[in-house]
Amino acid sequence: MTSPLQYIRQSLSRKLSLWIVFFAAIIFNVALGFMFSQSLSAVRQEAEGRATRELDNTVLRVNSILQRVETVADNTDWLVLGHLETPDSMFTYTRRILMNNPELNGCSIAFEPWYFPGRGLYFSAYSYNDNGNILTTQEGNDYYEYFYMDWYQTAKLLDRPVWTEPFFDFNPGDIYSKDMIASYCKPLKDEYGVYIGTIALDVSLGWLSETISAVKPYPNSYSMMIGEGGTYFVHPDTTKLLYQTIFTETFERPDNAISELGHAMLRGEEGIRQLRMDGKECYVFYKPLGTTGWSVAIVCPEKDIFGGYIRLQRIVVFIVIIGLILMLLVFSRIVSRELKPLRTLADQTGSIAQGNFEQTLSDDGRTDELGRLSQSFVNMQHSLISYIDELKRTTATKASIESELKVASSIQAGMLPRVFPPFPERKDIDLYASMIPAKEVGGDLFDFFIRDEKLFFCVGDVSGKGAPAAILMAVTHSLFRSASAHESDPAVIMRDINETVCLDNSANMLFVTMFLGILDLPTGHLRYCNAGHDSPYILNKNLSTLECKPNLPLGILSEMKYSTQECVLESGSTLFLYTDGLTEAMNASYEQFSDKRVERVLSDCCEKNLSPRQILDTVWEEVHAFVQEAPQSDDLTMLSLRFTPSQFATLLSESITLNCDIGRIPELNSFIQDIGKRLNMDPALISQVQMALEEAVVNVMNYAYPKERNNGFVTVKATSDGHELRLVVIDSGIPFDPTLHEKADTSLSVEDRPIGGLGIFLIRELMDHINYERVDGRNILMLMKNLS
Amino acid sequence: MGFYREAGIEVDIVHPSATLSAMNRIRRNESQATTLQVCQAMEIIDSGIPLVNILQTSMNNAMVIVSRRNADPLTQKGARVGIWSVGFGQLAICMSQKDKLNYEWVRFATNVNLFIKGAIDATLAMSYNEYYQLLQAGYELNDNNVYRFCDHGYNVQEDGVYVTREYYSKHKAQAKAFADASRRGWEWAAEHPEETLDIVMKYVQQNHIATNRTMQKLMLQEILRLQLDRESGKREFRLREDMVKLASDLMVEYNMLGNEVSYEQLIQD
Repeated sequence: MTSPLQYIRQSLSRKLSLWIVFFAAIIFNVALGFMFSQSLSAVRQEAEGRATRELDNTVLRVNSILQRVETVADNTDWLVLGHLETPDSMFTYTRRILMNNPELNGCSIAFEPWYFPGRGLYFSAYSYNDNGNILTTQEGNDYYEYFYMDWYQTAKLLDRPVWTEPFFDFNPGDIYSKDMIASYCKPLKDEYGVYIGTIALDVSLGWLSETISAVKPYPNSYSMMIGEGGTYFVHPDTTKLLYQTIFTETFERPDNAISELGHAMLRGEEGIRQLRMDGKECYVFYKPLGTTGWSVAIVCPEKDIFGGYIRLQRIVVFIVIIGLILMLLVFSRIVSRELKPLRTLADQTGSIAQGNFEQTLSDDGRTDELGRLSQSFVNMQHSLISYIDELKRTTATKASIESELKVASSIQAGMLPRVFPPFPERKDIDLYASMIPAKEVGGDLFDFFIRDEKLFFCVGDVSGKGAPAAILMAVTHSLFRSASAHESDPAVIMRDINETVCLDNSANMLFVTMFLGILDLPTGHLRYCNAGHDSPYILNKNLSTLECKPNLPLGILSEMKYSTQECVLESGSTLFLYTDGLTEAMNASYEQFSDKRVERVLSDCCEKNLSPRQILDTVWEEVHAFVQEAPQSDDLTMLSLRFTPSQFATLLSESITLNCDIGRIPELNSFIQDIGKRLNMDPALISQVQMALEEAVVNVMNYAYPKERNNGFVTVKATSDGHELRLVVIDSGIPFDPTLHEKADTSLSVEDRPIGGLGIFLIRELMDHINYERVDGRNILMLMKNLS
Repeated sequence: MGFYREAGIEVDIVHPSATLSAMNRIRRNESQATTLQVCQAMEIIDSGIPLVNILQTSMNNAMVIVSRRNADPLTQKGARVGIWSVGFGQLAICMSQKDKLNYEWVRFATNVNLFIKGAIDATLAMSYNEYYQLLQAGYELNDNNVYRFCDHGYNVQEDGVYVTREYYSKHKAQAKAFADASRRGWEWAAEHPEETLDIVMKYVQQNHIATNRTMQKLMLQEILRLQLDRESGKREFRLREDMVKLASDLMVEYNMLGNEVSYEQLIQD
């Protein structure tokens, strides 16, 4: 299911239309916001003006009436003070005042207790306008001690005229006003300035309430008036009248705004406040009422003031929203139509992308950006087709090269010995080797073979990868074989290989590290030469490293002099050779297997006395466990050989030493005949052995001592275990290794053949094995013949 | 009149006028029982009319002095101070003399308008009545401008129900039944404040009394608080001998009583 966001993202026309509408909405919003803000301000100012005007007019109207009352009081006190000797006249004055001022509800002229001693404690003349019927009485009595009343005392204590708080009078023993009244009270003072009583003029608050309540600038607005104690004296909610103050509701629901309004009104301030009253947002306009200490307020709900404005706002917002929606639809259509060629282009290029390169791109002749884009795609299509053709050719070539490289890789693998054990008939040598190639054809090599009871072996690593490395490996491998075919000195072999490898290698900058060893199997005498390769390990009772000179790798310096090192390999020892693919095998964290791990594994192998194959398997398992799934970056080659020379149980041991005189050959023949008989050999076999030995000894006699032949000696030692006869020819002459001589080419004439060649050929033919060693300045040639 | 009806007595509660005290009705035999403050009762006994306290509702003094202009009442020497015209405020007069404040007492009838109008500098007020009226009028009352008598060694009980000793000797059982029913009424009010307010507001509306439920709620809470004895924390409904002694000593010392009025003179036989 496509989400709305995805739906929009999938179409440029939708996105474009939405962006346009979005920015249009922002612009509308800013413009309308400004307009609304200005309008709001104007409406507010208009409302303020309107409410303030009405409030001012009302206050003015009320004040004019209140002032009339105050004028009446001012015009009366001289009358009272002028007739104090006739208290009863006070009743007349109160009546006259009411008659002349119908807006007055009552009038009292009250005197201090016992002021007129003949009239007792109380004297207060009071007239009351009972709907036009004026009643007059002396209102003071035990139930109405008027001199404790607020209206009396306030003027007395303040010593000035004052309006009382509105109140309900109650005089159970006489007439009294039933209306809520407020009194304007003026203190009376005699000629000495001594207070003698109070004139009080009562006005009913009914008309005041009506006047103030009539102020209604808005349909739901209302007016109110509070006294100096905050009590509501005018309010549309009659349950609040007299019973509550403006602060009452804040006791249970604290409301700072209302409290502050109340205090401002009590302080006689004039102003406008915005607050929440009875759950509605309101504007309150308030103003004090003359000298009364009361305050009038108009409460206008915000809705009323801003009703028209809010309606207008809603309509405008509605129109804008509809407009934006229409804009979205129209723009969507226009943009969609304009982008149609683009969609067509997208479909056509999609088809091209799927491999349909023959797809025709439409050209509607437009010259705008879309037209140019379309043309660019046409050009691109042509370029693409050309490029793909090129790519196909390149790919084919690459595939061919890869295929050839695979063949090369298999050929390379085939060059290395693959059959293990390689010398199943031999008990003295157990050898196992492996080369685990990396993905590409690589340059590791190993090889071994036995010639003349000598095991030639090598492990090498060509720098780099790929075909050049593989070719150099093959070359090096061939060189090893060819160089060691007739040479038993590792340094010489190494030098020969190096010289050949160096030829034309300066441009390739390739080199080969190699360890080359020649193990003399009868003696365990190991001669070796190292060319920059890692030193092999010797596994015996303990693990040790074969001491090697580092030397330069092959292929770097053609004049490089390599030297042979030698040692004697103890029986049971195992040599372990490897390439750096082992120590540098890396896991996914790019951590190398390292020498440390190799040595730990080989030490374990030492302890377990494992065979070469087991050693290689163990090492490989450890490497595999270490690298896990990480790809193999380099060839990994290991070669392990264990040397266990068989014990030769000597049944027979004879020797004969002859000076280099051909005339002593018959002694030699007798010696052999004798041994042959003792070993119960077949006469034909004795004859073969005799012939081979004679060739070898004559060869020594003739050539070993070129300068002092007569002083030269040759010794022949014969040993046998009953199964094999070993004849060792020893001389101290010039070094001469007959095994290095190529087999005689019997196709050549006698004159053309090199000296001795035929003799050696004969010896090889007659004996099973021959072996040469030069030890301590002596040539030691061993001839072996199986007796069984 | 539920509890009175249950007690088998017929009661007519009459409100005195703004200036005529309830005691005047007793004197005139218009009423048989009235509420009086302890100090008022002592004055009346001292004037030669023996009274019996048949029920004491207040356990603490509720009187305070509130002064204008946020001034400490104790610094207002010679100030005009409002006092009820119906005769409460004896302890305030004692305190004024004792602390040599020489207040000029201005008697007022019912409300706090003189104070609000600024005609007086300070006024006596009951913590359950005028005190809240002033708060409702927007006055800020605090420790600085309010002096509470109960916290300054004048904690003398106030309202109790009294009958003349003469009446008491003749109608002991009726007086006791009236007192018990009144006490039950107060206990019920303490347990059912909302229902009590409902009843009060019914009579407020019937008689157009200038008050409101918020005000009555605050009054009821304060009166119920004043009914708890400070030491025991319980509603004890008894006159405390120590408080009677304190009031008597003060009033004798400042010439408001001719003779000491003892606890025994106030209590029932």
